[in-house]
Formats: sequence, C-alpha cells, structure tokens
Amino acid sequence: MAEALGVVAESLAGDRARAARTVLDQVVLPGEELLLPEQEDAEGPGGAGERPLRLNAGTRSRGRVVCGPGLRRCGDRLLVTKCGRLRHKEPGGSSGGGVYWVDSQQKRYVPVKGDHVIGIVTAKSGDIFKVDVGGSEPASLSYLAFEGATKRNRPNVQVGDLIYGQFVVANKDMEPEMVCIDSCGRASGMGVIGQDGLLFKVTLGLIRKLLAPDCEILQEVGKLYPLEIVFGMNGRIWVKAKTIQQTLILANILEACEHMTADQRKQIFSRLAES
Amino acid sequence: MAGLELLSDQGYRVDGRRAGELRKIQARMGVFAQADGSAYIEQGNTKALAVVYGPHEIRGSRARALPDRALVNCQYSSATFSTGERKRRPHGDRKSCEMGLQLRQTFEAAILTQLHPRSQIDIYVQVLQADGGTYAACVNAATLAVLDAGIPMRDFVCACSAGFVDSTALADLSHVEEAAGGPQLALALLPASGQIALLEMDARLHEDHLEQVLEAAARAARDVHTLLDRVVRQHVREASILLGD
Repeated sequence: MAEALGVVAESLAGDRARAARTVLDQVVLPGEELLLPEQEDAEGPGGAGERPLRLNAGTRSRGRVVCGPGLRRCGDRLLVTKCGRLRHKEPGGSSGGGVYWVDSQQKRYVPVKGDHVIGIVTAKSGDIFKVDVGGSEPASLSYLAFEGATKRNRPNVQVGDLIYGQFVVANKDMEPEMVCIDSCGRASGMGVIGQDGLLFKVTLGLIRKLLAPDCEILQEVGKLYPLEIVFGMNGRIWVKAKTIQQTLILANILEACEHMTADQRKQIFSRLAES
Repeated sequence: MAGLELLSDQGYRVDGRRAGELRKIQARMGVFAQADGSAYIEQGNTKALAVVYGPHEIRGSRARALPDRALVNCQYSSATFSTGERKRRPHGDRKSCEMGLQLRQTFEAAILTQLHPRSQIDIYVQVLQADGGTYAACVNAATLAVLDAGIPMRDFVCACSAGFVDSTALADLSHVEEAAGGPQLALALLPASGQIALLEMDARLHEDHLEQVLEAAARAARDVHTLLDRVVRQHVREASILLGD
C-alpha cells in the first residue's frame, strides 16, 4: 500500500518543505510546508525538481493555484494549518493549476459563502431575523429574503422555526447574512422547514460524504422508507418519515454511518429491510 | 541526609531512565463526542485530559471581543485525586489561574487567531493524575485537542520539562525529581521552526548551565513531537478509512 511507504517519509519531515505532488492523498500536519510544482509548459515531463511558485505578474496568466481550506500561503510556499489528507482537483477549464485543500474532520462549522445550511431562528429584531447556524455568530436573515415576500406580505416565521437558506455574505470580518431565495428570486427548496421531523447534528465530513454525487448510503436509505430529508452544510440534518419510530431509526442510522464500515452498514440495512 | 540519588554513577535516574530519556507517552484524540475537539495523554504516570470548544460566540460580556482576532480562553483544573494526598482545589486559586494564563500565552502563539475575529476558543485542561511535568502534559494534550477540533494552527506545540542535577541536564522530570528542589525549566516549542512559545523557570540556575538545560528540553520536546505526530497520523487514517476514502 502506498501508505506503508509513506510512513517512513512522513515522520520527521520537520522543517524540510516537500513537493505538494508527492504528498497527495497522504496525511499532512500543521507545520509542514509544501512546494508547488512549476506550472510552466517549458518544464520537461521529468522536470528537474520543484521550484516554489513565483507569485509575480509574469506567471499570473497561467498556473494560478487556488489554496483551499486548511492551507495558507506563507511567502512562496503553502503552510498546512489543519491535520488531514491533502487533496487536489484538476482545473476544469482554462484556469490552470487547480485547487489544493486539506480534507479534515471537524464538528464546528465556519460560514462559507454559497453554502446551504439549516438554521434555527433565535430572535426577531425589527426587519431582521437572527438565525443560529452553529458558527461563531448568529446569521441575519431579512424578512424580504423569502419568495413572494413584500412589505405588506410578510413571511410567517416564528422564533424556533427551522430555516433552510444559503449564505450571501460570509467572511471572517462581518456578520454572516443568509437568504432563502436564489439569484432569480425563486425559493428552490429554501425557506421555512415544515412541522414535525427531527433535527440532529453530525460531523461536517459526513455531510460532505452524503452530499457527494453517488452516495450509496442515501440510495439505500431511500429504499428503506419514504422520507423527507434536508442536509445543511453546517452539520445539521432534518429528517421526517411517516411515523416517529421510522424517523428515529433513520436518525440513528445516519449518525452511526460515521463509525461503521460499508459492510456493517449493509448488514444493518438488510436487517431493517426484512423487519 | 543520604536521600534519594537523582542520578546514579552509571547515569540512571530514580525510575531507571537515562538523563535525556522521556517517559512513555500514550495519547488518544477524539475521546469526547460532544466537544468540538478532545484528547487524552499519559506521560508516564501523569494523565491529562483536554477539551476544546470553538470558535464560538463570545460568552459573557461582548466587550471582551477582540475586533481582529479570536479570544483564547484556557482553564486548568487539577482533580482532587490527582496527587498523593487528596486535596480540594477551589476553581479560582492561584496555581490554576497561573497555569491557565501560561496555557493561553502558549496557544495564542500557535493558533491562527486572526482567522476568527470576534469569537472565542475555549480550552479546558484537567489533570487526572499528577506525577511531574503537568504543564508539559497539559500543553501536549491541548495541542492534540485543538487539532482534533480542526482549528487552524501554525504548527504543533510540544512541551517538556527539564532539570539540572550533577552538571547533567535531565529531561521530563517526574514528581520525585521535581520535589527534590533543583532548578526546573518548562519549555513549549513549535518544532518545525524551532520557535519557543513559552519558557518558564522559577528557580536559580547559573547562566552557564542554561544553554545545556535548554538544549535538553528542546531535544525532548522534539521527541514528543515525533510521538504526537504518529498519534495524529494514526487518528486521521482511522477516521478517513471509516468515511470510506
């Protein structure tokens, strides 16, 4: 396995920076520095060594590498700030370089623009609702940010309601703002989440895995019972099935998915399908 | 008094270790499900538990919020059963406050607080069994807990204590060696860059010997880093296997 070979090289990397390409999909820890390969086409296939990406005007037009979560730029290198596996995504279109990020496990959510999240309304102050999204600050939601809402036609939102919305402003310097309409003014599934159902919390990694394009877990759960389910990128899942017992079973399964291997999961699903 | 010989002629200490040898370290991350990050460490007989919450809203007065960085709040607590004699320690006593302050200074140097302005990061450390080197064990446990919580850090923080006996520097003191009354030094290091996060000594040591003791502590802290490195990699591998990567 590639990992066994990696172990010897991984330990005591110390202050020696390594090429990012060689540690893809391996565990990286804070304190490590990564070098980016030269993006120039002039470099031969077995390009002699890596030189740090020079961030000057000359190379700006090509080879722009995006530095994602868990990485910070320090000088001309990338500094790892979280522990996890280093991932790389090839660029889709013309923008060269791609994205590097660290896949880390986390429970606490940090608001990111464009994320769809489930929030709980905690206060109504004037024209704004304060929504708790699990981050370091409650997000603000204007009453006009619902489909078909006008000054006369206010949405029916009470304190304690569940809201599914997306962030339009989410950076570290400002209070996050969320809305329940998309850029065309349509709800597209966002808004107040209906009555009943159960809201529970899981880790962020599990949510990302469940929302991945072909997730087996979701397909299997769908075959089990008819259900409504909403995933918030802040680690919250709302689920509703026909009876309370079914809802609880689904909630337990999703929470336990994190700690089960694929075989154990299939066993549990087959047992439930029989009963 | 012909008391305990801290360093024998053959170079062995009271518990059979060599001068620069560390005690056995075992650590685990993610021991609590409800906290954002948690870790447990055993350094010899010293056992410490660290729990991290954050970054979350500032609790208490909003006035304490810093506009450009996160507030790091550390609390140290020592269990009543942690020492040889059962001793009830009220929460706000001098030693706890001082340790809390030292932990705060240590972690403000390592955590990238400017990424989370106006929020608060709580680090709670509890010592379950104290056999010397409690500050070091607390720092090591808290580092693992902060990593488990996914809070961005500049580097690991690894700490170790060191002493000086018979012109030899000893690393990782146990309670017997600390109680003997010689000079003791606590060092918290950021291993990749070699920068010192905290250096603390409140005894008298001749400045000629300082270099030697500091070097012993730094070497021991780097050894601790090697061990913690292995623990974190193991934890990440297990977590990603379960998530099916």
